[in-house]
Amino acid sequence: MREALVAGLLVVMVAAAWLGCLGFARLRAPLDRLHAATFINVVGGGALVLVAFIADGASDRALKILLAVAVSVGAGAASSHAVARALVQRGAGPGAGARDGSGG
Amino acid sequence: MTAPMTDWTIALIALLPPLAVALSAACRGPVARRLVAVQVAGSVATLVLAVMTFAFDQSSFIDLALCLSLLSLPGALVMALFVERWL
Repeated sequence: MREALVAGLLVVMVAAAWLGCLGFARLRAPLDRLHAATFINVVGGGALVLVAFIADGASDRALKILLAVAVSVGAGAASSHAVARALVQRGAGPGAGARDGSGG
Repeated sequence: MTAPMTDWTIALIALLPPLAVALSAACRGPVARRLVAVQVAGSVATLVLAVMTFAFDQSSFIDLALCLSLLSLPGALVMALFVERWL
């Protein structure tokens, strides 16, 4: 039962990474693409924390993973905001996918 | 004798293509795309490092993931400032 749960959560984590990268490749505007990084952080990181606690219990390793994911989610929000602001300053704001030159 | 292929090892291998996609996007293309690709690559790299600690059963690897997540904020802020002001 525990092995199946670990495998299922690992599948969720890997699927989140693949889906985030697919979103990054498919979305047109740079600001839309930032959502892909957030998706990977939240869904992939959440699944990773769950699987770490299930596989390892409340060990040092699992707690460090929880800390890393919490920092990653918190810092990801702040850095996404900073990056989005820089992109808007550069004129890559909403609807700028065509100007981005990235195929959109 | 090689170690058996565990679920963690399979997950680690499955996480490498998304990391490669993000890293390759960070190496070429317009600045806006590169900047976002670095964000995505950082997110995937944190997952990869955390999975590596279970796949190789080396607890010290998780410190790398922790360092990466701690350093990603100042790194992204410096890059954003650089792009915003000078690039």
